[in-house]
Amino acid sequence: MKVPISWLKEYVDFDDSVKGLADKLTFSGIEVEGIHSAGDGFEGLLVGEIRKVDPHPDADKLTICIVYDGNEEHSVVCGAPNVKAGAKIPFAPIGTSLPNGVRINKAKIRGIQSSGMLLAEDELGLSDDHTGVVILEEHWEAGTALSEALGLPETVLELEITPNRPDCLSMMGIAREISALYGTKMKIPDTDMNEADPPVEKLASVEVADTTGCPRYTARVLANVQTGPSPDWMQKRLKLAGIRPINNVVDITNYVMLETGHPLHAFDKNLLENGRIVVRLARPDEKIKTLDETEHVLTADMLVIADSERPVALAGIMGGAGSEIQGNTDTVLLESACFEPMTIRRAARNLGISTESSYRFERGVDINGVEWASRRAAALLADLTGATVARGLIDAYPEKVSEQSVSCRWETVRSLTGMDISNDDIRSILESLSLNVTQADNAGLTVSIPTFRQDLEREVDLIEEIARMHGLDKVPTPSPQSRIVADAEDHRTRTLIDIKTRITGLGLYEIMNYSLVSKALLDLFDKSDAAVRIELPNPISSDQSTLRTSLIPQMVETLGRNNARQVSEAGFFELGRVFRNTQEGRLENERLSIGLMGPVGRTGIDKRNPVKGEEMFLWVKGVLEALLESQRIPDASLEAVDFPEFEPGFSAAVIIDGQEQGRIGIISPEIRKEWRFVEPVAAAELAVDPLLAHISDSVTSRPVAIFPAVTRDVALVADLSVRHDDIVRAIYDAAPGELEKVELFDIFEGEAVGDGRRSMAYSLTFRSAERTLTDEEVNGYHSSVKKALNDTLDVIIREG
Amino acid sequence: MKIEDIINLQNKALNEIEAAADSETLEAVRIKYIGRKGLIPDLMKGLKGADPTDRPEMGKRVNELKNTFQEKFSERRNQIESSRTESGDKTFDVTLPGQWRGLGKKHPISYLMERAIDIFHALGFTVADGPDIETVFNNFDALNHPPGHPARDATDTFYLSDGDLLRTHTSPVQVRHMLKHSPPVRIIAPGRCYRRDTPDATHSANFHQIEGLYVAENVSLADLKGDLAHFAHEAMGPETKVRFRPHFFPFTEPSVEVDFSCHICRGDGCRVCKQSGWIEIAGAGMVDPGVFEAVGYDTGTVTGYAFGMGIERIAMILFGITDIRDLYENDIRYLRQF
Repeated sequence: MKVPISWLKEYVDFDDSVKGLADKLTFSGIEVEGIHSAGDGFEGLLVGEIRKVDPHPDADKLTICIVYDGNEEHSVVCGAPNVKAGAKIPFAPIGTSLPNGVRINKAKIRGIQSSGMLLAEDELGLSDDHTGVVILEEHWEAGTALSEALGLPETVLELEITPNRPDCLSMMGIAREISALYGTKMKIPDTDMNEADPPVEKLASVEVADTTGCPRYTARVLANVQTGPSPDWMQKRLKLAGIRPINNVVDITNYVMLETGHPLHAFDKNLLENGRIVVRLARPDEKIKTLDETEHVLTADMLVIADSERPVALAGIMGGAGSEIQGNTDTVLLESACFEPMTIRRAARNLGISTESSYRFERGVDINGVEWASRRAAALLADLTGATVARGLIDAYPEKVSEQSVSCRWETVRSLTGMDISNDDIRSILESLSLNVTQADNAGLTVSIPTFRQDLEREVDLIEEIARMHGLDKVPTPSPQSRIVADAEDHRTRTLIDIKTRITGLGLYEIMNYSLVSKALLDLFDKSDAAVRIELPNPISSDQSTLRTSLIPQMVETLGRNNARQVSEAGFFELGRVFRNTQEGRLENERLSIGLMGPVGRTGIDKRNPVKGEEMFLWVKGVLEALLESQRIPDASLEAVDFPEFEPGFSAAVIIDGQEQGRIGIISPEIRKEWRFVEPVAAAELAVDPLLAHISDSVTSRPVAIFPAVTRDVALVADLSVRHDDIVRAIYDAAPGELEKVELFDIFEGEAVGDGRRSMAYSLTFRSAERTLTDEEVNGYHSSVKKALNDTLDVIIREG
Repeated sequence: MKIEDIINLQNKALNEIEAAADSETLEAVRIKYIGRKGLIPDLMKGLKGADPTDRPEMGKRVNELKNTFQEKFSERRNQIESSRTESGDKTFDVTLPGQWRGLGKKHPISYLMERAIDIFHALGFTVADGPDIETVFNNFDALNHPPGHPARDATDTFYLSDGDLLRTHTSPVQVRHMLKHSPPVRIIAPGRCYRRDTPDATHSANFHQIEGLYVAENVSLADLKGDLAHFAHEAMGPETKVRFRPHFFPFTEPSVEVDFSCHICRGDGCRVCKQSGWIEIAGAGMVDPGVFEAVGYDTGTVTGYAFGMGIERIAMILFGITDIRDLYENDIRYLRQF
């Protein structure tokens, strides 16, 4: 909310700088988001008088104005449509600068010399209006400083009002806070006026059909209204507060709204059928055209103000086009009412309208302030439009709302805030906020809550008032106390952090992708999970319409984005959630993905050689193995399974303790093509929680064997269908417990071993925990291993 | 055999040891002199034929020769071994690039979250977790958001077709935890949240928060300030100051916004803190009795504080990030900086 300081001072005095005031407000709960100065940089700008207006010979829309600056005349070419001889306007002579820094120089415009510039509001930095030059009041002498004529500069506070404080959505509401902060008295504007017969009941009638939606409705009638522009001081204040002046009647309703926080509405009473107001719910599909010339189709939960025939306003939101104040309006029906917040909110939201009025009603206005606002507006209308105020007020207020009482215990104030504050201070703070103490004793006090403070319902609400007014800087800062709650443990968190730390140790970078993805991306990788996807009924865009079911698509997309940016190699991982609908219900699981591209597995300067699928697969498998080993997860293996996103053959399931817990492979060529990858790209994905379940924290250490190890090699030629795992298992099965380790140290395919076959060489390490093994013993183990391989697998042992 | 023979042999042997340039030559010298058929054992045998009067003297001399040889030999062997180099006589280029796979890095959001978790662990907080998909009850009702609260709008919140929603803050974890555990409760809840904002430089469809909750007997606003001051000192440096500004949140009363003094200018005012000397870090307050009622806690016996901070916001301030979407682009060149 924009609050001009000079306007505020109409209601409260305070002896402080603007900065001091801003700090006080901010630290008592009304945040000052900005301090603006309207009218800075007006040096040299003057009031000019237009003495003559001639058409421009070569341009239809331009005129040549002769402008008197109090000293001499200047010829100025101007494009504004509203220039006329005799008008007083803001004039920028040659050599001056506009508030935005633009310097005024001599110029030729369509061949005519122009000396100076006539200014519109946008050029003065007052608003963004550029519809014409500003027309000043006629009494200003040409040559007067423009800042004097406009009453500038003017300091405006930009305030953030939290939703619990609708009472502060007004100048008087802010002034009330300031009076509490500075201990000064409020100055309440005068509402004296003459009322004349006939009484208002003779001129108009009000029927409230929905007292839930409209608990109070008041109406006044004012005759002999002279419509026209409102006075400069009022227009200026409205503009500074961000509201565009319309005419004196509308401006007064807006002015009183800004002053009191009560939205008002003025109808042209002659446009209301039978002078009748009916506050009722809309009929289904009833239509209304609002002031902004938009036609709305209403639903039966929307509250309207109707005359005896049709809706004439959307209650609390916007007036109707058919009953608005016209140039020839002479009788006004002035509405000041209270509407129920939810009703207004729902209608405003469903119709897509938000106005200064709806904003205030949605947050709640003071039902008992309705009458004063009406009276204040009527007094201004009488004063500024010459209106005759009909005697009395129609006031449909069936259920009076009275002040509530709230109690507060002294000790609770101190224990909840930790502040050292005396009973007397507590009492005087509450009293400064217009809360009357109705009872006080050793335990605490009771105050009555004025109806403009609907947010104060409970003891804690009062404690908040006390804390903010006393000053939160007085909350002490004790030394922190560590406190361990029984059963506190954070195993999972520490493990997840450890997993991430380990993977970064393997050279991978952590990425974070959005949980929401496009259906098309998921389809590209795996259409088979379409049935389990959770889609948003109301996404922002199709790019983010579906909760991800796998981390792999975005992993590959991320690699692709890097690849497109000429990043030649990358290793990434992501720990994130995936979502799916299953028969057991909605599942939300943590997953870990890994992605590699380029020669990431090489440490040497040998980065130029193309990366082969085999090595890429073994790299990603290596990362996976290192990770599993770091967490002491036993019994993990890969099993060749074709998954849709992977290239057949380079695709495997990750099996942990007999259960499939993930997938690993080389991304299929069709997918790689989407991101123009020319080399293989590897990815893996693991379910995290089953992994955590298998992490073993118990370690039983053994002393390392001190007896010497003996190694023997086994070389064999095998069909490609014989897997490394099968060979290793056969070796272990045949060897005694003294076999410590089996290592593949050579693998070779080529003509020498024949098509479809390969040569593999293993190094076997034997060691006894009790003694030194003899050559004879080891030779015996070696022979039985070779024999067993020969007997159980389709391999040829190479001797020598 | 004369004493001179022994002295001559000693001089010769020691010269040869000295002259041996590598271990092979030195080994040949060793075999030549003290091998099984070496010159010194020969000399020992020759003692028998020597003049009996000279024999003790000569025996002593031969022993000395043997010991001296051993000593000099060991000395020389050590010299040769310790002068053996990898480069030989070539000069190695020490400026060649190092060859070890580099370390990766954690995402800046993770980095900040883990730091926060670490600091709060020391204060006895443990991590509580909850799902991204939440119920309206946990996300709004139990957190004192009245019906019709603007945050509930489908324009601001992602609803699923069954009426559940993607949580808009990590606060529902408070509700879940309190429904399951009796006080005292001391938890932090880091996690991902969602709001239906059109993505721009400061908004993304998901973001991260870290939430804290402490409920026990006699918890006060001062406890909140003390604990957050500790966090500030650990996270931003020991000179960091903490201040509260009054604010409004539906689920706390009193509610405050928490500012830390600017880590860049130390409060003097700079570009990062927009010349104010302070940076807004968290929203916080005393748990509203309405929340306790929703989870069945007795408002007469316990009080509590809660706080929440946006990790992306803090990352943007700390790391000078101007567009939140950069955090989700995952360009490796960007991630390497953190």
